[in-house]
Amino acid sequence: MMIYFNCAKGIIYKELLRFFKQKSRFFSALVRPLLWLLIFSVGFKSALGLAIIPPYETYITYETYIVPGLVGMILLFNGMQSSLMMIFDREMGSMKILLSSHINRNFLLFCKMLATAIVSTIQAITFLIIAYFYGIEMSLQGYILVIPVVLFSSLVLNAMALFLSSVIKQLENFATVMNFVIFPMFFLSSALYPLWKIKDSSIVIYTISSYNPFTYIVEFIRFTLYSKFDFTNFVIILLLIIFSLLLAFIGYSSKNIFKKSRK
Amino acid sequence: MSALELNNINFKYDEKIVLNDVSFIIPNNTFFVLLGLNGAGKSTVFGLITRLLTLQDGEVFINNHSIKNYQKALKSVGIVFQEPTLDLDLTVRQNLYYYGSLKGLSFNETLNSIKDEIINIGLEEKLDTITKELNGGHRRRVEILRALIAKRKLLLLDEPTVGLDVKSRFDILTYLRKLVETTDLSVLWITHLFDEVVSSDGIAIINNGSIIEDSEVSLLLKKYNKTSVDEVFQYLTKKEIK
Repeated sequence: MMIYFNCAKGIIYKELLRFFKQKSRFFSALVRPLLWLLIFSVGFKSALGLAIIPPYETYITYETYIVPGLVGMILLFNGMQSSLMMIFDREMGSMKILLSSHINRNFLLFCKMLATAIVSTIQAITFLIIAYFYGIEMSLQGYILVIPVVLFSSLVLNAMALFLSSVIKQLENFATVMNFVIFPMFFLSSALYPLWKIKDSSIVIYTISSYNPFTYIVEFIRFTLYSKFDFTNFVIILLLIIFSLLLAFIGYSSKNIFKKSRK
Repeated sequence: MSALELNNINFKYDEKIVLNDVSFIIPNNTFFVLLGLNGAGKSTVFGLITRLLTLQDGEVFINNHSIKNYQKALKSVGIVFQEPTLDLDLTVRQNLYYYGSLKGLSFNETLNSIKDEIINIGLEEKLDTITKELNGGHRRRVEILRALIAKRKLLLLDEPTVGLDVKSRFDILTYLRKLVETTDLSVLWITHLFDEVVSSDGIAIINNGSIIEDSEVSLLLKKYNKTSVDEVFQYLTKKEIK
């Protein structure tokens, strides 16, 4: 048991060290959502009227609405960045160190995802603190409850990213993934507009958005920030994590990894 | 008891046969060289032993544990890959801690398990140096030191001296041969460089995916009445070595 504890500690330690050494990574992860919050939302605030929908009990500003979506954005882009680093590590060889350990490979990969999730959570909390000083306040209970939810949601996205990294053969293909996976995943969700608003404009986009896993992650974060628990969201995210972990583990089995490294 | 045993390994990438009935044994406490030209199948053998590739046919035993039981088989194995695998942004100490944790050791246990080796390999002054500030030779030493964490019984090194100057290459070889002499360590040294082989080493020569000789170097020289390994290699493979 101690072996597994030491192993998890070491992987998280390394990820945190890298995170604190690469300060530009920290700031660039924050700049993107802050641009949306401080600039993009200013224009939309007056153009977009928001009805009272759960979990909100009163009219809210557009800035307030997009905060959970922007937290999701941090998790999504961080997960993908970690996936990019996995491809880089695989191409450069350092991934081999991890994969040739005598400790169970799936456990090692899980620790790697957890380490990235911890880093993402730190960034998401920093963003929420900045948003608080900008005037978007939640209850203290909401802030506390959202920490495990953000961590858990980040795990889901990291597992999906890990699976993607296992199917991408070369680093150059990552740009394609950005255009065809990450951006659609973000824009075809409830991160920027409520689903009912999307439905008013396009049934097709509404339908796609309602099946997008990222929508459920954003809504889970949104409800938790208002100290509300949505059981359906919780079950869907639980299923998502099981499914995405399974895919990631299959993607990184020896049989599949060797195929990629040789082609 | 053997440190490593490969029995009848066959391996294909798609339809291309890469290894053909590869077998050899590394006895305990031996410096053993797997020698072959580029593309001979050396790195595939290495990938199968380190479980980066999945065994298709045949068996691999490490310290009498089948590689299928990798949690026991790889426990006492240290690995140095051909590509640099250190995290250049971290210090030497942090790199060692990380690798130790992948072996299930705490940070203290990691350093304690190699406290003599840190001095013997000449890295005690470099522990808190950022790895990217080290030269190529020192980085390789860190990788070898890292592979020795947790009292290894078998070291696997895949072309570890590629890109190093002559002095660094032979310093590393001398250090490892001394370790084999003075401890219970065995070494599998994979290389295409003929000058890295000495007469006391064990050797397997691989050519086009097959082992064409497997013996002790001194016995091999006697058997073919040659004075050097490259002469034996040329005689066996009919290949010109420039």
